[in-house]
Amino acid sequence: MEPAVKILLVEDSPVDSRLLRLLLSECTSSHFEFTQVERLDDALKRLSEERFDVVLSDLTLPDSQGLETFQWLRAHVPDIPILVLSGLDDESLAIKAVREGAQDYLVKGRVDGQALSRAISYAIERHHAEQALHQSEKHFRYLLESITDYSYTVKLDNGLPVKTIHSPGSISVTGYTPADYEAAPDLWYRMVYESDRAAVEQQVELVLAGETPPPLEHRLLHKSGAVRWVRNTVVPSRDRQGRVIAYDGLITDVTKQKLAEEKLVTSEAFYHSLVENLPQNILRKDLNERFTFANQRFCATLGKSLEEVIGKTDFNFFPPALAEKYQRDDRYVIRTGQTFEAVEANVAPNGAKTYVNVIKTPIYDPKGGIIGIQGIFWDITERKRFEEKLQRANEELARSEAALRKSHEDLKSAQLQLIQAEKMESIGTLAAGVAHEVKNPLAILMMGVNYLTKKFPPGDENLGLVLKEMKEAIGRADSITMGLLDFSAARQLSVKPHDLSNLIEGTLQLVRHEVGQKRINLVKHWGEHLPLVGVDKTQIQQVFVNLFLNAIHATPAEGTITIRTFAKQLTETSHFEGSRRAAPFWVGDRAVVAEVEDTGAGIPEEHLARIYDPFFTTKPTGVGTGLGLPVSKKIIELHGGSIDIKNMQAGGVRVTIMLKAQREQT
Amino acid sequence: MAKKRILLVDDEKSFTTLLKLNLEETGNYEVRVENWAEDAYGAAKEFKPDLVLLDIIMPRMPGGNVAAQIKEDPDLKDTPILFLTAAVRKQQIEDNEGIICDFPCLAKPATVEMLVEAIEKHARK
Repeated sequence: MEPAVKILLVEDSPVDSRLLRLLLSECTSSHFEFTQVERLDDALKRLSEERFDVVLSDLTLPDSQGLETFQWLRAHVPDIPILVLSGLDDESLAIKAVREGAQDYLVKGRVDGQALSRAISYAIERHHAEQALHQSEKHFRYLLESITDYSYTVKLDNGLPVKTIHSPGSISVTGYTPADYEAAPDLWYRMVYESDRAAVEQQVELVLAGETPPPLEHRLLHKSGAVRWVRNTVVPSRDRQGRVIAYDGLITDVTKQKLAEEKLVTSEAFYHSLVENLPQNILRKDLNERFTFANQRFCATLGKSLEEVIGKTDFNFFPPALAEKYQRDDRYVIRTGQTFEAVEANVAPNGAKTYVNVIKTPIYDPKGGIIGIQGIFWDITERKRFEEKLQRANEELARSEAALRKSHEDLKSAQLQLIQAEKMESIGTLAAGVAHEVKNPLAILMMGVNYLTKKFPPGDENLGLVLKEMKEAIGRADSITMGLLDFSAARQLSVKPHDLSNLIEGTLQLVRHEVGQKRINLVKHWGEHLPLVGVDKTQIQQVFVNLFLNAIHATPAEGTITIRTFAKQLTETSHFEGSRRAAPFWVGDRAVVAEVEDTGAGIPEEHLARIYDPFFTTKPTGVGTGLGLPVSKKIIELHGGSIDIKNMQAGGVRVTIMLKAQREQT
Repeated sequence: MAKKRILLVDDEKSFTTLLKLNLEETGNYEVRVENWAEDAYGAAKEFKPDLVLLDIIMPRMPGGNVAAQIKEDPDLKDTPILFLTAAVRKQQIEDNEGIICDFPCLAKPATVEMLVEAIEKHARK
């Protein structure tokens, strides 16, 4: 027994559906299995879930009416036959459904069981046949599309073409059937691309003349309007008498090859244009250093034709040293597979220096082995020259900037010194006034203390001590005011020629006591044949006493103080030596220099700027007045000299006093 | 021995008082004080001192002018004058061997001993 035919019955009328089932149950030839739904959405749902052999459907359902019902079903299951059920009143609608692809329609109440059963079976079979046809059609079309050749025969009468016979392959290549060609004897000519017709005619003429012309590639217009490339091969066909009575042709579709070829040509032209039209020199060499390619530019550079270059080496065109260098670079690329890039400086025959930028890369065979090198180089002389110019300009700029910065620094330090000098001036003026005003009360105190000393008899120890302390205090106050006056006084110098070494030696006697007390080692280097200096002896001695006392205070017990004198020819001017009034030294001036070095701790960086400030001192009260260095500086400046105090790298402080040498009497 | 007559001219009243005390304490001097420079010449004519101790910087009239007045007076022109001033430093005086502006000079503050020594050196014998 055959398997049951599975039917999806889409019918909302229970009467109709019962009738249908009844009718079909009477049928003995087939066995039917029913699934019934009343709504379209239920039908679509069931169809998605289950496979049915056929769908029987009313068109009028609660959720869908008319042709739409069929269209929905059809769209949902295109490969299942659908039979439309219709009432008497809507037969026309059912007919429309059939036109749209329903297998059949059945008018309810007009069919008996047998008819119904047959209709269902036919519907299923017809549907299967349609499906098969559809499949074979698809298959056939596929085959047809893969045909790229067809043959044809042109019959001649009296040397003129009268009839063409085309093989069915023509459909695939040209879109026309053999019948089309038979119906229109000139179709074969009309389909030839207009500008190719002359060539085709020429080929025909040759074959008509009994020759076998070479195959001709030409274009023709496909029935769809697309342009096809074909290869047309023709041979004459003769009768027994040897007359040409026809010719046979073979058309091969070469569109694909032709397109590929065109693409290749375009790409070839593209690269050719790149290589030959760029202003760069491009070359290739094999592993034996022989040129295998040179672009026009490189040929022009060498002054040779391509033929003269190919197969030669660098030694044919360049001096040996240069050729050797080029080949060395090539070998580097071949050995390492690395890109070589360099800027090379060459000297042209006319002596001008030129620069080229060179890049060399390896050439690989398809297996990845290196088979040579390719190089590209171009002239960058202009750029290089510009760069050099730029660099020179930059250096120039840097130099002037440095000079500018230096003069700025100079100005700044000059300004600082001016400020300092200005400060000193006002302090000096102030000091002179204060000193005078302080001295008078001091004189009164001194008188008072003197009187009391006389009036009170000795014996009272405490009283004596008090008066002694008072007297000493007056003395100290007096020496401070005196220092202030020293500092401020614009005094007359009594200048006489002196030997600076002698003068300093003499001064050392005044501090003998302090030197001995700390067991300080004095090292003296007196310069030989020093020129004399014009100085006020007492004042310069005062300066050196100050310097020695400072050095002694700074130097630890058993330390060393070094004193040095020497002559010096100045090689640079020294403006702004601290005061507006200080006479600067000029280049060529002869000076006598004295240096005093101690082995103390040096001057703390933060104090360096203040050492010439009056009353600035780091010594305990009563030991230093803070006027030693300001007064010394003042004195040296009055002499037109300079004083410089610096920490030495090795530790300790060096004071340098520079005084103008007296002009030698001639 | 007659006491030496000292004319002390200084605008500092306390100073003159104390110096007078100190000098008179020695028993060797008779001291007259003038605190105003313009009174000094009159006092000198009247007092006829053996030495004038003269301050230099004073209000209204500097010591130099007083010295000039005295030196211009025929009766007084031989009167020794000793400047005693805060305007000059000891060092300066030493450098000039004790003479400032043609007159011997002492710098303030000076001790009584120094003053006595100078007075003894310069006063009319």
